Amino acid sequence: MLRSILNRLLGMIVVMALVVTIVFVIVRVTPGDPAAVMLGPDASAADIAALRTKLGLDGSIVEQFGRYVLDLIKGDLGQSIFLGEPVTSALAQRAEPTFFLTVFSLIIATLIALPVGILSAYTRGSIFDQAATTVAMFAASVPSFWLGLLLIQFFAVRLGWFDTSGYGGPGASFADRLAHLVLPALALGLVSSALITRFTRAAMLDVLNDDYVRTARSKGMSEWRVVLKHAFKNALIPILTVIGLTAALLVSGAVVTETVFGLPGVGSLVVSAVLRRDYPVIQGALLVIAGLYVLVNFVIDMLYLAVDPRVRY
Amino acid sequence: MAAISNPQLAEPAMLSRLMGRPTAAVGVLILIIIALAAILAPVIAPYAPTKLSIASRLHPPSFAHLFGTDDLGRDVFTRMLYAARTSLSVGFAVVIFASIIGIVLGLASGFFRKLDAPVSRLIDAMMAFPDILLAIALVAALGATAFNVVVALGIVYAPRLARVVRASTLVIRELPYVEAARALGVPTPTILVRHVLRNVTSPLLVQGTFIFANAILAEAGLSFLGVGISPDIPTWGTMISVGRQYMDQAGWIMMFPGAAIVITVLALQLVGDGLRDLLDPRLAKDI
Amino acid sequence: MKRLMQIFASFAMLLPVVAWAEPQKGGVIDVATIGEPPTLDPMASTADLVGIVTQNIYETLYTFDKDWGVTPLLAADMPKVSGDGLTYTIPLRTGVKFHDGSDMDSADVVASLQRWMKVATRGKQAAEVIKAVDAPDANTVKITLGKPFAPLLSLLSLNNAAAIIIPSENAGQDPLTSFVGTGPYMLKDRKPDQFIQLVRFDAYKSRDGEPNGYGGARKQYLDEIRFVPVPDPNTRVEGAVAGQFAYVDSLPVESFAKISSGKTKPVILKPFGWPVFVMNTKQGLNADIRIRKAIQAALAPNDMLLAAFGSPDFFAVDGAMYPQGYKWHTETGTEPYKPEGDTEAAAALLKEAGYDGSKPLRILTSRQYEFHYKMAQVAAEYLKAAGFKVELDVVEWATLTKNRTDPALWDIYITHSPFLPEPSLTGIMSDTSPGWWVSDRKHKVLDAFNAEPDPAKRVELWAPVQQAIYDEVPAFKVGDFNALAAQAPNLQGVTPAPWPYFWNAYLEGK
Repeated sequence: MLRSILNRLLGMIVVMALVVTIVFVIVRVTPGDPAAVMLGPDASAADIAALRTKLGLDGSIVEQFGRYVLDLIKGDLGQSIFLGEPVTSALAQRAEPTFFLTVFSLIIATLIALPVGILSAYTRGSIFDQAATTVAMFAASVPSFWLGLLLIQFFAVRLGWFDTSGYGGPGASFADRLAHLVLPALALGLVSSALITRFTRAAMLDVLNDDYVRTARSKGMSEWRVVLKHAFKNALIPILTVIGLTAALLVSGAVVTETVFGLPGVGSLVVSAVLRRDYPVIQGALLVIAGLYVLVNFVIDMLYLAVDPRVRY
Repeated sequence: MAAISNPQLAEPAMLSRLMGRPTAAVGVLILIIIALAAILAPVIAPYAPTKLSIASRLHPPSFAHLFGTDDLGRDVFTRMLYAARTSLSVGFAVVIFASIIGIVLGLASGFFRKLDAPVSRLIDAMMAFPDILLAIALVAALGATAFNVVVALGIVYAPRLARVVRASTLVIRELPYVEAARALGVPTPTILVRHVLRNVTSPLLVQGTFIFANAILAEAGLSFLGVGISPDIPTWGTMISVGRQYMDQAGWIMMFPGAAIVITVLALQLVGDGLRDLLDPRLAKDI
Repeated sequence: MKRLMQIFASFAMLLPVVAWAEPQKGGVIDVATIGEPPTLDPMASTADLVGIVTQNIYETLYTFDKDWGVTPLLAADMPKVSGDGLTYTIPLRTGVKFHDGSDMDSADVVASLQRWMKVATRGKQAAEVIKAVDAPDANTVKITLGKPFAPLLSLLSLNNAAAIIIPSENAGQDPLTSFVGTGPYMLKDRKPDQFIQLVRFDAYKSRDGEPNGYGGARKQYLDEIRFVPVPDPNTRVEGAVAGQFAYVDSLPVESFAKISSGKTKPVILKPFGWPVFVMNTKQGLNADIRIRKAIQAALAPNDMLLAAFGSPDFFAVDGAMYPQGYKWHTETGTEPYKPEGDTEAAAALLKEAGYDGSKPLRILTSRQYEFHYKMAQVAAEYLKAAGFKVELDVVEWATLTKNRTDPALWDIYITHSPFLPEPSLTGIMSDTSPGWWVSDRKHKVLDAFNAEPDPAKRVELWAPVQQAIYDEVPAFKVGDFNALAAQAPNLQGVTPAPWPYFWNAYLEGK
């Protein structure tokens, strides 16, 4: 047991080291120059070279890597070249919209997916089932940015119910900020509901055929209770796993969605950092996101281990 | 795993069985039509894809221009056909590229015990990045060309395939006839190709179909963010991104390519579902 | 004056007739900008966006009036220039306070100008001719030049790479970390990619009299100005239609109709600037002047502008470097500018140059500005018709700004510029800016232009410079284009300007 944990821990450290290296390599082979972007269109080559030195963009790649790893060990993700603030604080500021966008999308997706999935499984083969399956597949085929554009056009521009973009001005209340997440969460949630719907349906089908459900039925329990209380309860574990998986996928979806809706989240921060060649921000954001993913996976593995000691790593 | 139960599945038989499922048949039919349209683009297309006609810009759909004209007076229908070529080739090339990396990594880690830990950790590390983010960073690093978009998306999707291949390989490796072959001194490459690779084709095919669909969506997303294929090459994604600013004046510029994406991705999913049901009886119950 | 009439006419036409009520104090406006400024130090950047935001915070010694003449701002008056044109004695206004409460004096000005000469692109340009900056007394600054340099006051007045005055104790900062100026608004809060919040500076001391362009009195009606970065142009259009902002900067002109039907009113600045194809005269195909002449003949500005801006309402086919209405306007030398292009002439020139079509002409552009990219596409077709092999290199703006500094990477790059009040500040006039136009002819005409102090004579000396540009083709000016912004119906007192400013602005019914 302890050996398993240690093994897994070691593995995680190796993965993190690989993540760190991958990020550094990707970022440094990227062409384009943050110094040139900062200085504006009329800057001279000499000015740009001087700023590069100041930003620590000179020196051999090995030197730069050394500096970067040392800083990282100290917990320092560096200073954003463009924003003039530490990367950690830039990321902390952007965490809120991304976090709530992900949570809301997940809630919307689940609220759609669970009832539809359960009903589909229960009425397997019916018109409803077929329609639901097709619609779910259709939803998964729509590019989320496209759906986002249509939502903006209709609800924000035509009806004027929401702001077209942004996250509220200075001093916007929490509620006001969250109101800016309604459309993006809808766009993302609708598209991601497909996966959860289909898994719910499959998991429910699995258990609906199980013996204890039949037993419950034969005891004369109402269908409603059989389905929700017995079947759904047992299907919950695989469904929760898929919801967790979807949450990871949503981070990817958030990148595009945040950009469409002008949300100042982590995803749009990375996109703009790529366009501005803000190396420390790209590095930091990729590291934190990938790091979180690795950590969460580790925790889940440990939980499995706790539940089922036969699992070995 | 389940693919092992029918290792000798012959292709024609599979196709006919696939066509026996109505939804999958529809998917195959749609894909054939789109592929034909793409291949025959130079024959079908009424205009040249780059032919400008500034005077007739933003014309709505008509008999002369079936899907209207774009901001430079180019025929949207023509560009859709040529875009289908790029979008489909990009999607397909991503699948091929990801498969090659995935097979190599998957076989290596699944078959050779010593390589398993390092390769698996590498796969874990790559899977830790959200796919669009990794693709954006890679394309920015490599340069925004069609080739590099393929490479970037290939790298992004390869780990998924590698996992599938590894899982199958782990099982196959322990099968009696594979162990027997090894004991008889059959060279490892022969074993890999003849026994292992052959048996991972089915799960690969299923995964590949979904990756094809994902790649088309991802390419469109990258183009939309302005970090994808050079916008003068027509792809459905670049057409949407150009058409966005004419959304109300000339909605057709972005509506038609958007619809093409939805239809193609839907068709690929239908086919992928059909394949999975056929090849993976355990799951056939219906995911 | 004519230009102003045009501005006024377009302005008056578009806005509903409103009774000009007495401006009231109060109110907060949200201004949508094209993105997050890379810095809040206007010395450190030449980007227009930096100037637009920071001109509310900092002030310069001089600025431009409504006719683009230089007018004093922090200086009390125009400088006393010695007879030989080498000494500028500048009297300073007294009682001007910085946002931190301290008083501005000549020590601050000297320290700021020295920082400007060290840090700012335009300051370094000036530093080549400035011998000394010193302070004879607390309220006077003296600038001594090595040779007469007419553009000096324009350089001191410009709002990008700007000669802003900051407290002397901050002048050592590089990068600038204390954003303290003397302007009518001061920085309160900044959340990158979300907003920059400016609030009224209560101790601001305005000039007397009436507002006059960027000069004259500066009124502080608004309580707060918030700049909100909205990098996507379509999102800005949607925001304008939905009425989410009091002012939306830099909209695609083709969205005019859509804006008109929305909740904010369109404002056209006519003409705003000029798109330009800059030629790499240093290396590659365009090092050969005959190739450049062939390109000049091949390009068809009319189609390029039409594709880029949609309707002739939004552009003018115009070869002169400055359009009518500017004192610099002249038609001298513009004969080679052919609105429809001259493919045959271009083909002949190309043949003469011995071009065999093997080496592609590389056009470097970006989609940061959609109209750049559209012009590139149309240009490519015309160049191909003349016999060129063309390669479009469409990159992100960041890559473009980097690649254009490397002469090995491109033959043409596309950019644009507002009509700068001083022609010698234009990019191609510098020997070191990308394009690297260097020739005896250029130096002869430009030196004469820059050394002449008399404004009337300078106008005459501009014609030979324009002639040289057309003869040697360091760049191809495509035409004039208008800029589109949008403004809430109740926002008053904003003058259409290439760098819109929000002192003097007020909200009606507030």
